[in-house]
Amino acid sequence: MSKGILDGIVVLDLTRVLAGPYCGMLLADMGATVYKIEQPKKGDDSRAFGPFVNGESAYYMNLNRNKLGVTLNLKTPEGKAVFIEMVKKADVVIENYRPGTMEKLGLGYEELKKINPGIVYGCVSGFGHYGPYSQRAGYDIIGQAMGGLMSTTGWPGGAPTRTGTAMGDVLGGLGCTIGVLAAVVNKIKTGEGQKVDVALVDSVVSSLEIITQIYLTTGRIPEKIGNRYESTYPYDSFKANDGDVVIACGNDKLFKLLTEQMGQPELVEDERFANNALRVKNHADLKPIVEAWTTTLDIDTIVEKLLAVGIPSSPINTIDRVVKDPHIAVAREMFVEVEHPVAGKTTLTGDHIKFSDKKAEIRTPAPTLGQHNFEVYEELVGLSEAVIKEYIEKGVF
Amino acid sequence: MSKGLLDGVVVLDLTRVLAGPYCGMLLADMGATVYKIEQPKKGDDSRAFGPFVNGESAYYMNLNRNKMGVTLNLKTPEGKAVFIEMIKKADVVIENYRPGTMEKLGLGYEDLKKINPGIVYGCVSGFGHYGPYSQRAGYDIIGQAMGGLMSTTGWPGGAPTRTGTAMGDVLGGLGCTIGVLAAVVNKIKTGEGQKVDVALVDSVVSSLEIITQIYLATGRIPEKIGNRYESAYPYDSFKAKDGDVIIGCGNDKLYKLLVEVMKQPELLSDERFTTNALRVKNHADLKPIIEAWTVEQNVDDIVEKLLAVGVPSSPINTIDRVVKDPHIAVAREMFVEVEHPVAGKTTLTGDHIKFSDKKAEIRTPAPTLGQHNFDVYENFVGLSEEIIKEYIEKGVF
Repeated sequence: MSKGILDGIVVLDLTRVLAGPYCGMLLADMGATVYKIEQPKKGDDSRAFGPFVNGESAYYMNLNRNKLGVTLNLKTPEGKAVFIEMVKKADVVIENYRPGTMEKLGLGYEELKKINPGIVYGCVSGFGHYGPYSQRAGYDIIGQAMGGLMSTTGWPGGAPTRTGTAMGDVLGGLGCTIGVLAAVVNKIKTGEGQKVDVALVDSVVSSLEIITQIYLTTGRIPEKIGNRYESTYPYDSFKANDGDVVIACGNDKLFKLLTEQMGQPELVEDERFANNALRVKNHADLKPIVEAWTTTLDIDTIVEKLLAVGIPSSPINTIDRVVKDPHIAVAREMFVEVEHPVAGKTTLTGDHIKFSDKKAEIRTPAPTLGQHNFEVYEELVGLSEAVIKEYIEKGVF
Repeated sequence: MSKGLLDGVVVLDLTRVLAGPYCGMLLADMGATVYKIEQPKKGDDSRAFGPFVNGESAYYMNLNRNKMGVTLNLKTPEGKAVFIEMIKKADVVIENYRPGTMEKLGLGYEDLKKINPGIVYGCVSGFGHYGPYSQRAGYDIIGQAMGGLMSTTGWPGGAPTRTGTAMGDVLGGLGCTIGVLAAVVNKIKTGEGQKVDVALVDSVVSSLEIITQIYLATGRIPEKIGNRYESAYPYDSFKAKDGDVIIGCGNDKLYKLLVEVMKQPELLSDERFTTNALRVKNHADLKPIIEAWTVEQNVDDIVEKLLAVGVPSSPINTIDRVVKDPHIAVAREMFVEVEHPVAGKTTLTGDHIKFSDKKAEIRTPAPTLGQHNFDVYENFVGLSEEIIKEYIEKGVF
C-alpha cells in the first residue's frame, strides 16, 4: 500500500456525527494521520445511530475508517494538559461543536495559537462562529431550509423538499476540508496557522450559485420546478413504460439527434422549439411530445438508443443498483470491503477523489471506542503505561 | 486587501460551465492566480446562458470572478506552444472536457508531466477518466440520477426528484478542489505532480454515505421519504398557518423541550415516542400531533418560541429571503457587490469558507472574453505586443 498524498500531516479530530467526521475521513483517506478524540465511555453520538452490524454502528464505521481512536475528557485538567501536548505536535485541529464550546474549555483558536502558532483550526457549525444566529443549533435540515435549497427542490404546487441525503452536512464537510487544505498550503509556506470557519447554511448558499443569480439579476424568485433545469430543455425525467428515464440535451445539436431517434425530425423546425431558450420557455409543450415516445419503450432500451448516438441519458438508479453498477462499484471502486474487528466484513463507501499515484484508500476500519489509547498516548504524547491506566480509571481517558 | 492563503499558486483554468469553473473560482477566491483560458471568439459556453446584465451572463460572471481572462486556440500549433510555455510556469491545470479530449490534443497529463513534472492536473467529468462509462457525456442531472440521489429525494409514492441546484456539478467542483489542494501540499513537500480525477457520479455517491449504508448493512433500499430523516424524529417540516416550518429534534432532550413548548408533556411517556428509535418508527403517528399544534400559528412565531428554549427550528427560506437575511447576507457576507466593466454593479455569491486572517475575497469581476490577453501573454508568457496582435488576427488568441 502506497502512502497517501497527505502523508505526514497530523490531524486532531474532535468532531461528531457527519459534517466534521466526513472532513476528517477525507483527510485520513488521503493519508493524513487522524486522531479521532472521543468522550470517554460515550464516544461520538453517531455510535448510537443505526443500522448496526454486531452492535457496531454502520453510520460511525463508514465516516471514521482510517482514523486512530482515543478517548479524552477535555473537562478535566489532566485531559486538557494532554490535549495541549497533542496540539503542539499537530498540524490541524477540527471540531464541530456549537460555537463557543471550545472557548469555554479554554481551548479556542486564540488559545491554541499561543501553544502552536502554526495550528490550522477547522470548524463546522450550523451558522458559523460569528453573526447573529451563531448560537443557534444547526442541523442539516436547518441548513437546507435556511439556505434556500428546500424552496427550490420539489414539484410545482407541491411542498418544499429536503434533498434525500444530509446534503448540508456534506457540503459543510467538503468546505471545511477545502479550507483546511488551503490553510495547510499556507502553513507549509509561511509557518502561520489559520482558523477556518464553515457554516452549513453558508455552504448551502454557495451551492445555489446559478439559482440565486436568477433572483439577483432579474428579481424572479426561483421556485420548485420538478426535475427540469432553469437553463436548458429537454433536460428532465420522462415516463418510460417501466419507470422514469433521464434525458439531457444541453444544446441544439443534441436536440436534433434526439428528434431523429424519436422519428420526428420535423420538431427541429417547430417554431416553439427552434432554440434552447425557446425550448426552456415552451417546455410544457415539449415534455408530452417526448413522453409520447418514451412511454412506448422501457428505460434500458431508451438509454441504450440515446447513448449510442451520444445523447446523455440514464436510468434513475435506486441505491441497490448504484451499489452493483459495474462502472461505479467495480471500475471506480466506490464501494470497498473492509474487515472490522467487531462487525466483521463490512462494505464502506469509497473515495470520490481519484489520484494517479498516491491514492486515497481505506487502510484500516474505524476504531472501537478508545482502541488506540495506549499506542497514541505512549508514542505521541509520551505518557507511561501506568499513567495511561490511571487516567482511564479516573475517567480522563 | 490582504493576499489570500493561496497567494503564489498559479492555476491554468481550461474549464467551462459549472463544475470546473466553481473549482477555479474557489482557488481564485482563496488567492491563487487563475488564468481562465477560453476558446477565441466563443469563450466558455456559459457566456451564452442567461440571465444577462447588459448582455453579460450572470451565470458566467458569478463563477469566474477573480480570474484573468485569455483566449487560446489549443488546436493550432502556435496555441499549443503558448500553452506549453504556460504549463512550465504553472502549479495546477484544471479541465472538465470529456475524457480523452486533452490526450487527443497531445496535452494529456502524461504529456504535461514531461514538460513540468510538478504539475497538478485536476479534471472533472461525468463518469471519470477510466471505467466502462467514461466516454458518456455527464451532465449534472445524469450524475444525480445515476448516483442514486434522485431516487431518495421526493415524496413517498411521488416521482424521484432532482435537487433544485446543479448539486452533482457543485459536489464535483468541491471534490476537485480538495484533490487539487491535497496534491499542491504534496507538490510543495516532494516536488511531484499528480492527476486528480473526479467524476460527478462518484461525487454524488460519496454524498450519500449514510443512506447507502442502510442498504449495505440491512438490505433495505432507502426510498423517498419527503422531508424526514432516516436517523431522527421529529426532524421534518410541519404545516404552519402561513406555510411550512422546520423542527429538528435529534435527541430525547430536545424532544422533551418541544413537548413542553407544545404544552403536551404527556407525549413524553407515550410508549410510541419514548426513544428516538421509537419516534422514527412511529413518525406517522407523531407528525399529525405536532402539526395540530403548528397549524394554529405562524412560521415566525413557532421558530421564535422554539429557538428561545434551544430547539432547532427555522422557516423554509425562499431565495429572496436568503438574499436579505441579516445573518447570511450581512454578517456572513454571502452576497457581495462588485463593479463589472460592462454589466455595472452586480451582486455575486460570496465564499462559504471563512478564514481568520487571509480571507477568501472577491477582488475583481469576471473577465470579458480575452480581456487580459496583452497583460498575460506579455508579462506571464513573454511574448511581444506584435506577436500577440498577430496571434489575435490568426485566431490563435
